[in-house]
Amino acid sequence: MRSGSLRTYSIAASTSMRERLAYPGNFAGSMFTYALFVFIFSRVWAGAYAGATEIAGYTMRMAVWYFIIAEIPSFGFGRFFWTLSRDMKSGQVAYLLARPYDFVSYNYAEKLGGSLAEAGVILAEGIAVGLLLVGLPPAAAPGAAGLASALSEAGRLGFLVVSLLLAGTLNYFLQAALAMTAFWPEENEAFFWIFQKLTLVVGTLIPIEFLPRWAARLAVWTPFPYLSYAPARIAVAFSLPEALSLVARQSLWIFAAVFLARAVFSFGSRRLSVNGG
Amino acid sequence: MTMGTIRMARPLGRIRAYARFMGAAFAFNLKATLEYRVNFVLQFFGMLLNNAAFAAFWMVLIERTGAVGGYGFSDVMLVWAFVSTSFGLAHIVFGNVRHLGRIVMEGGLDVYLLQPKDVWVNVLSSRTIVSAWGDFAYGFIVLALTSGTDLQRFALFAALAVPGALIFAATFAAAESLAFFMGNSSAVSSALTEFMLSFSLYPEGIYGPGMRWALYSIVPSGFVAFMPLRVFKSLDWGLVPVLCLVAAVYVGLSYGLFRLGLGRYESGNRMDARV
Amino acid sequence: MAAIVADRLSKTFSTRVRPAGRLSALRSFLRPENRDVEAVKGVSFEVGEGEVVAFLGPNGAGKSTTIKMLMGILRPSGGSASVLGLDPVRDRLELSRCVGAVFGQKSQLWFHLPPSDSFRLLGAIYEIDDDDRKWREAELIERFGLAPFWDVPVRKLSLGERIRCEIAASLLPAPLVLFLDEPTIGLDVVAKREIRQLLADAARIDDTTVFMTSHDMGDIEKVCKRAIIIHHGEVVVDETMKDLRHRALSKKYVGVRYASPVNLDLPSLSPVKRTAVAASYEVDTREHSLAEVVRALAAKGELEDITVEDEPLENVIAGIYSARTGAEAQAFGTGLPGAGRAAPEALGA
Repeated sequence: MRSGSLRTYSIAASTSMRERLAYPGNFAGSMFTYALFVFIFSRVWAGAYAGATEIAGYTMRMAVWYFIIAEIPSFGFGRFFWTLSRDMKSGQVAYLLARPYDFVSYNYAEKLGGSLAEAGVILAEGIAVGLLLVGLPPAAAPGAAGLASALSEAGRLGFLVVSLLLAGTLNYFLQAALAMTAFWPEENEAFFWIFQKLTLVVGTLIPIEFLPRWAARLAVWTPFPYLSYAPARIAVAFSLPEALSLVARQSLWIFAAVFLARAVFSFGSRRLSVNGG
Repeated sequence: MTMGTIRMARPLGRIRAYARFMGAAFAFNLKATLEYRVNFVLQFFGMLLNNAAFAAFWMVLIERTGAVGGYGFSDVMLVWAFVSTSFGLAHIVFGNVRHLGRIVMEGGLDVYLLQPKDVWVNVLSSRTIVSAWGDFAYGFIVLALTSGTDLQRFALFAALAVPGALIFAATFAAAESLAFFMGNSSAVSSALTEFMLSFSLYPEGIYGPGMRWALYSIVPSGFVAFMPLRVFKSLDWGLVPVLCLVAAVYVGLSYGLFRLGLGRYESGNRMDARV
Repeated sequence: MAAIVADRLSKTFSTRVRPAGRLSALRSFLRPENRDVEAVKGVSFEVGEGEVVAFLGPNGAGKSTTIKMLMGILRPSGGSASVLGLDPVRDRLELSRCVGAVFGQKSQLWFHLPPSDSFRLLGAIYEIDDDDRKWREAELIERFGLAPFWDVPVRKLSLGERIRCEIAASLLPAPLVLFLDEPTIGLDVVAKREIRQLLADAARIDDTTVFMTSHDMGDIEKVCKRAIIIHHGEVVVDETMKDLRHRALSKKYVGVRYASPVNLDLPSLSPVKRTAVAASYEVDTREHSLAEVVRALAAKGELEDITVEDEPLENVIAGIYSARTGAEAQAFGTGLPGAGRAAPEALGA
């Protein structure tokens, strides 16, 4: 059963975003780590490109920008599992369940809203650090000039933002499905670790194109490339057909993930055994 | 502040007393660790998984490009092994090393000032970190996978991990000791810690000359990762004492900084400290 | 109509048992062993509309479990519940619109934002339109005195101020039933008194049914008209505060002080505490006439002071809590057989 209006969810999202922004000190830690990571990886790529100008279709500048964008979902949208698990284990979930809204959708609005603030800050930082380290990202439409170039830059930016939002959404529903296994009393953290590390290897630390061919071919059938590869690929190698296809595949995986999260919730809440006394 | 100073009257006796004390602290902590077996197993596998993810990254990258920054795949894995084992050892023996700043800020040193043992050693070794055993073991696992079961290599690896652990502990403790001098040093300390750990895990050759100066001084990644790797690969036992000397210098500096800070220590305004 | 009905409500939790000994973690992983724990065993009661009821019991008695079942968060293992005529589990969403909740230690306010923001979001969650919300907010700000910190981030509020906001927030959608779990925990005396007054007002002004747990006798005596005590998962007492207090009335504490030393023993009553010139007596009025005891004491010498006090309610409830079985607890203080007295500690207090 669905309940709650779009207005409810948008107010929830904006409230939680303001809550995060009210205490910017919260961002300092992840901003520092992110900058450190980007710096080290820019050096790793410099080392890797010492004897080559192009690897698997990527120049060094593309590889660095790829990493800058691909890490944003990890930093911005990588912690839904913990906040949800904490709510569930602390019993805060009792509060959240006794409200007239759809639990899964409401939490999506609230948690994603909060993380958008952080993702935005990291994105801005990443652009600044990237410009400093390797200069502008490669042009969206090399060779084009004037209006055509401006249009494709705008198109790339639009697709990048959409793709990042979809990556956040997919991240949320997959992590929510994992976190809500806390309805069962067993430890569920191991699931999340595996999920997290697969995300890291498949498309975050390194573009999919670098993987051995069999692995790359397998990877595109998993949800992992759509968590970080998709936006990063759009940022460094933009083409309209590919961007459309990536965004479409992200959307398909979101449908699947929403279905999964709802299924876990409805089974889980049915056999709910909140610690009571 | 003279409390807790090592009295040098009977140096040998003192050393034996300290060895016994640290042994007792270690045994106590080990027992506590065993209480959290499930937690330990989970953390251990979590760490294996994390390291496996990075191993996969390096395998893929080096497969494409050949050596990066002068390191092949086995070099990167060995660097991880050194860092992991020394880092683990540091946290097993000196488990409080990354809580020192908080303890200072909250006035928690009072307890240790009242006990007849050196404050520095006492604070640092009065806790152990469960997950550190996983880090410690991981290095040996990697070693077995990359270098087989050559006993001499295992011995050299272990001999190099000891100064590495001391340097880790000394650096972290020094960063945490800044709490004596600044109101809240946690941001600076955690930044230094993160620098040290992150820089150690990547090939030495990717850093420029300016960076490398830093990596053999203020952020001594060079002494816990890059230099041990060189010594290990050339099987040069002669450099082990050199590394031990370097470790002694870091420990001495860190200890000095702590004593300097201890002079400014004011018992905290924590309620339970006052009552 | 009854606002809350619990009919032989029960809840059994299945918990994992860890075998003792070596490799226990591994064995329990391979072959998990479960044990059923009956947290609530057949609890029945009814609460009328607008009633203010204290729901008491020692830690682990099954209070939270019962409340969670009434709110539709936990599915009962047996029996049935009905709140405002709805089945809490089946009609959870519908019910949640008319029910408010305050859990003392869990906050529904956003920590870094002022209360005004949390109220706005709650308004949206409960689908109250903006005009209604503002009108209702104004009323609650006035009643709860929230104006001075209406725009101050919650993290800067004192606990008392925060709880005031929490309760006001839960009243925003004008719930017909309000569940409170230890609303005054951790508060100082003044803040407690304010909160109690506000809760009593809420029940009176909004005609809200209030169902609260607390360990604080003051909360219960000042706010509630009726007490339900559960223990070992069963209802052991369900009576008006007046009747409950009556259990205490059968016992009086008489304290005397004389100008000079006298023989302090009465023919059938010895003091429970004595000095040379002063003593206190525990008088069971079912055995002794209070008037006769006082007369006898007055006749002993020149009285400087005499006090007669009821047994504190706290002692009665402590006795019920420390009972080992439901039957023993029910009998406590009623003078019925099996009414084992668990030594009240605050003698003569």
